[in-house]
Amino acid sequence: MVKVNHVPMGLIETPFHARLEPLSRAKSWTGWAGFISPLVLDTVEFEYFAIRNQTTLFDISPMHKYRVTGPDAAAVMNRLVTRDVTKIADGRVGYVMWCDEEGMLIDDGTLFRFSATDFRLCCQEPMLTWLLDTAWGFDAQVLDESDAIAGLSLQGPTSWSLLQDAGFAAAQNMKPFDWREVEPDIWISRTGFTGDLGYELWVPKAKALDLWDRLWAAGDHWGVRAIGFEALNLCRIEAGFVAAGVDFQPVHAVMRLHRGRTPIELGFGKMVHFDKGHFNGRRALLQHREAGARYTLAKIDIAGFKPANGALIYHRKKKEVGFVTSGVWSPTTKRNIALAELKAPYGIEIKDDLWAEIYVNEEGRWDKRLVPVTLQDKPFFINQRARATPPHPF
Amino acid sequence: MAKHDTYDAIVAGAGHNGLTTACYLAKAGLKTLVVEKNDWIGGAAVSRSLIDGWTYSNCSYVCSLLRREIVRDLELPRFGLQVIPYEGGATFTPEGDYFAYMSDHDALRRELARHSPRDADAYDRFSQAVIRQCRFIRPFLLRNAPDPTSLRPRDLSELLFLVKQAHGLGAKELGETLRFWTMSIGDFLDSYFESDLVKAHIAGAGIIGTGLGVYSPGTAYVLLHHYMGDVDGAIGAWGFARGGMGAISNALGAAFEEAGGEIIKGAGVDQFLVRNGKVTGVALENGDEYHAPIVASNMDVKRTFLQHTDRAALPSAFTKAVERFKIRGSSAKLNIALDRLPSFPAAPKGATFLRGDMHCSTTLNELERAYDDWKDGRWSQDPYFDMLIPSQIDPTMAPPGKHMMTVFVQYAPYDLEVDGVRSGENWNDATRKAMADCVLDKIAVACPDIRERVVHAEVRTPWDIEREVGLTEGNIFQGELTFDQLLFNRPVPGYAQYDTPIRGMYIVGSSAHPGGGVMAAPGANAAREILRNIGKGKSMPDFAA
Amino acid sequence: MTDNRFDAVVIGAGHNGLTAAATLAQQGKSVCVLERADRIGGMSRSADLGGATLPEMAHLLYNLNPGVAKSLGLKIASRALPTVALCPAQQHVVIQGKTAQYANGDAHPDAAAYAALYQRLKTFAALLGQLAEGAPPALAGGMLNAKTLQEMMALGKLGLGLKRLGKVEMREFLRVILSNAYDLILDELSDGPLAGALAADAVRGAYAGPRSPGTVFSLMYRLGNGGDVTLPIGGMGAVAAAFADAATKQGVQIRTDVDIASLVIANDRVQGVLLSDGTTIHADAVLSSAGAMQTMQIAGIAHFDVEATRRMRHLRNKGTTAKVNLVLRNLPAFTGLTREQTAGRLLVAPSAVAVERAFNPAKYGGISKSPLIEAVIPTLTDTTLAPDGTHILSAIVSYVPHGLEGGWTDAARADLLDRVVQTLEAYAPGIGELITHSQVLSPADIETMTGAPGGHWHHAEMGIDQILTVRPANLMARYAFGVGGLYLCGASAHPGGDVMGAAGRNAAMQVIKDGVLR
Repeated sequence: MVKVNHVPMGLIETPFHARLEPLSRAKSWTGWAGFISPLVLDTVEFEYFAIRNQTTLFDISPMHKYRVTGPDAAAVMNRLVTRDVTKIADGRVGYVMWCDEEGMLIDDGTLFRFSATDFRLCCQEPMLTWLLDTAWGFDAQVLDESDAIAGLSLQGPTSWSLLQDAGFAAAQNMKPFDWREVEPDIWISRTGFTGDLGYELWVPKAKALDLWDRLWAAGDHWGVRAIGFEALNLCRIEAGFVAAGVDFQPVHAVMRLHRGRTPIELGFGKMVHFDKGHFNGRRALLQHREAGARYTLAKIDIAGFKPANGALIYHRKKKEVGFVTSGVWSPTTKRNIALAELKAPYGIEIKDDLWAEIYVNEEGRWDKRLVPVTLQDKPFFINQRARATPPHPF
Repeated sequence: MAKHDTYDAIVAGAGHNGLTTACYLAKAGLKTLVVEKNDWIGGAAVSRSLIDGWTYSNCSYVCSLLRREIVRDLELPRFGLQVIPYEGGATFTPEGDYFAYMSDHDALRRELARHSPRDADAYDRFSQAVIRQCRFIRPFLLRNAPDPTSLRPRDLSELLFLVKQAHGLGAKELGETLRFWTMSIGDFLDSYFESDLVKAHIAGAGIIGTGLGVYSPGTAYVLLHHYMGDVDGAIGAWGFARGGMGAISNALGAAFEEAGGEIIKGAGVDQFLVRNGKVTGVALENGDEYHAPIVASNMDVKRTFLQHTDRAALPSAFTKAVERFKIRGSSAKLNIALDRLPSFPAAPKGATFLRGDMHCSTTLNELERAYDDWKDGRWSQDPYFDMLIPSQIDPTMAPPGKHMMTVFVQYAPYDLEVDGVRSGENWNDATRKAMADCVLDKIAVACPDIRERVVHAEVRTPWDIEREVGLTEGNIFQGELTFDQLLFNRPVPGYAQYDTPIRGMYIVGSSAHPGGGVMAAPGANAAREILRNIGKGKSMPDFAA
Repeated sequence: MTDNRFDAVVIGAGHNGLTAAATLAQQGKSVCVLERADRIGGMSRSADLGGATLPEMAHLLYNLNPGVAKSLGLKIASRALPTVALCPAQQHVVIQGKTAQYANGDAHPDAAAYAALYQRLKTFAALLGQLAEGAPPALAGGMLNAKTLQEMMALGKLGLGLKRLGKVEMREFLRVILSNAYDLILDELSDGPLAGALAADAVRGAYAGPRSPGTVFSLMYRLGNGGDVTLPIGGMGAVAAAFADAATKQGVQIRTDVDIASLVIANDRVQGVLLSDGTTIHADAVLSSAGAMQTMQIAGIAHFDVEATRRMRHLRNKGTTAKVNLVLRNLPAFTGLTREQTAGRLLVAPSAVAVERAFNPAKYGGISKSPLIEAVIPTLTDTTLAPDGTHILSAIVSYVPHGLEGGWTDAARADLLDRVVQTLEAYAPGIGELITHSQVLSPADIETMTGAPGGHWHHAEMGIDQILTVRPANLMARYAFGVGGLYLCGASAHPGGDVMGAAGRNAAMQVIKDGVLR
């Protein structure tokens, strides 16, 4: 008789859970890829302002992490993603997207390049089988590192100061999207999901709590605060970043047909490098480029103060032309902001006379409002401190 | 003194489809009679108490396909129908391991990854592909199959609907659909998974009730047939009817009677009465005769026309088509009363997957060999079974602390071969026991103490099911679910819209489109046909809208 | 270097490659055919064994596309053969077209039913045959689009043909088209050698038993060009030579013993072929009659989408057909057959049930103890093939798995030979004693010798899920194969295998239509 390791049911703990659990006052948890992840630890508002004013720790261990190594590793990654990975230098990180054969986005993520023969891909969706399929016939190995590597996102204007006090002064000259091994087994990348100054730290699971304690101890003066997903999501939308399953539907996960979108439709046409040779979906994307976008994902500013999540968008208050995929009140910019999917030509050629239909509940009474919508070109939150190298102390 | 009476419509057979038809006819104001040969109603959707305290769903045993449109429309919950989803399932190996299906997606991923990290991802892609197919096919279940040779506006509009649905798929998906409908479940699973155990666990749904093997083209569709149902909108989910499958028939029967219908039990049909190409009623085995201008047969098409209809009333080409319609007995059933829950040493304490479907077949080749046995007239020496203990969820099925186990066995032939002779007559207590032993030996892989737990067991071979329920060869679908017997080919090309060569006579059971399973769609579709033909089509809701 | 610049290069000098080349050359294109082996012909070729000229693999013609034959001006002398369904009880049945009777001249009780079934299948097969005459219908853009409506013409024609059959026959067509041979046959005939012969014809070369849905289609496919079985005079090599002659007459260059290293691809367009010796042959189009996966590998997997690669990895191409060639010192005596009948196509497939049963072990890597055999003694028809008095027996043995349990060792080959001879002994006692030379080719050997994936006759199983618009796979069915200018022209493309030539001709026409050649 074999010895069976029964799998645990329900959500399981991340390597940082022992530290997060005592910090949770709100007791508001969610499931993220099977792990217990905080939605809110204390209050969304204070956690949000900690990101924009101090520094914060968010546990990103549930991200899927895959290591692709071998002589053909670069060829495999170039086959996978739309941009040219040969242009990402060693020790650099690239934001990447990858598509199916019809040019529909499978997922986006960050690609960490150790060397031409060694990459790590971080993403939301499970991708092992797809990576194995992509690497089939190539001299490359794919390893799922999701459980082996823990990750912490350190974000906010005092992040660098905290790092310095924690003994990671080596990070000082790191430019955005740099990454390096600052100590044996501790890798830092200057990346994040907030549009602000910030870093992500990666360690083997066994060293996770030591890393947390070291950062936490150094962070007192810099106002460090552990945060949950909701505060992060506010910053994410302010920065204009798209989220899988929210602003686009990963095409491998959809049951309903025609829910897939191309990177071009999501506003990432510049990340599709048609001249780099074949990559997955290239021929279909060429056809899409020729035919023009069917949709566009727009950044919009909405009148009034009521968040517009899920609102339908109308042209001339009559014709339904799209809907909000992510909408929040932005506490920093004091604007009512959103990402919205609009059906072509709206948002592309026709940009005026757009309206959002918002349902508001005020003390139990529902009310419908049509409010004007303005298209934006740039992210809602832009701050020079996010890119300064060396970074400012606060 | 034989009884005579006249009705607007008579339904022969009180199976779930016959009762569904009857309900709709009665609700449309027709004076409707249902005659049933057994002393109970339900056909193959029955709850029987064969030993005090225990209830057996002794034919069909789980529920998913029953169309929710019909349940809602006939208000079956008001007549006691409750369907409770079950939580998982497992396949046990002789080595003491298992693969468990869990409704908790995260746990399922971990469990899949335990067997193959690759298959954990593959499962999501597989279920996405299957659900896409389900979403495509579900709108067709409550519609008529179009006759592709006809130019009638209705057929053309049904064809147009089909083309429209197909058009909506796009080129890639249409190609995938063509392939899916024509593939074997084995090849389909091989293209997704690497773990034998995972494949074997899923593959069962591709062969249950059929005379096909896991590598026979067309079995991917059979899997779809088992996945296209739902419990409260959760596509592919299965559940127990509280009180056993008879709860469905009883609710239908009650709804029918409330609508003014009449059921006569213990009244087997001897002959469908036909005069001048038109049906006039039924003559019962007991000599009674009932007359009606509309007669709907819930019996399968072979039984209806080859046993209870005067051949002279039928065109010979039709009779021949009925003769070659394939209804093959391929499954048996064990219903077992247990003195307590058997032990499952491989399972962790409190495992929820024990409350689902359990199996002990671990490879696709093992399943294929099980089919090879059946082709040669033997029950599978290493059988596949679908085993459940509904009393874990449904307290009405067994006395407190005791349990009821239902075991569906694939494959068992109708015409068992003994000493070179193939015949249903070869099923007797000795062969029944030998088959049951073979099954129990394999159940012992999962529950070593199974034999000690048995208080009472009922063994039902295809032969037994035919004799009791009336299903030809005991086939659960009233006809093989192969492409040559689906849609406009079911049951007979040219008569695929519940009609027959005899005016006023209809086929309303699973022999008709869209086929078997406790779905009630053939019964409802047939009722719509009947009512339309008498100018009362508007009295039925248009589910397909 | 003008010698190495062509409009098109064709990979593989089998009949499809040669047909593709000749068709393009007829359109005024310069074409070069590159063959890896030292001779042309692929599966239709002759070999020498003990002084006799053997049909090494394929041995009969039955599906040569008349359109191809006509447009290429193929001159193949051949003789039609009757089929003799051998019976263990010596009640052999001689089948010629729609007639069936016992070898001793007695009437067969199922003769009328057989004739009706045969005629019906032939009518249906002719309808389906139309679909082989061009690229399969595209589904691009869905079904309601004007551009695709044109593509649907082929299907439309089929529909019209069906309508002309009348309602009853149309319904019958729609019923049986996806059905299984076993039921179709046994619905009409009692089981025995006649039913067995039909069942065996339905599955020869296939990885499927007659009970498998889809086998009626494969039976019809065999009958698509009339169903006559003919023996080429001069051996199968003469067939290959005829194709090659037709090609060279059009100015096609054929080079054998050529090893291709890779394709030259720039900007997602084929530019030519790089040979292992470093030579580059420039061309605007490359047509490959190699298997679909091999073609992908020659071109380089990086040039294809992941889904395309995955489809090719999962292509079903498990070969099930072995070849046994015997040189006999004397003519074997088949009990109950005249010399003329012995010259026919001899089938060992005693019943439909036996055919299904023979498939069982193949599913698990084994070989049936009673293998199915299609044998022919060509020397009875064409005396030039072997020295005086000696004979050749060429046998295609069905349900011999490519992936034999334990692998294809010499012992395994000897065992297969033994089973075949033992089986034949039952019908021709003493045949074993007559053998002077023998050759056994397993599906694995056939793969090695011809490159046919899995040693499969059709390069990819002719299941319903791998034909027409999904042959070899979904979205890859229009001959164009990923990279611009690269085309499939072999049996893995529509309409499939057999010595037919249609795939080669259709692919060449598609190249012209797509305008990839200047």
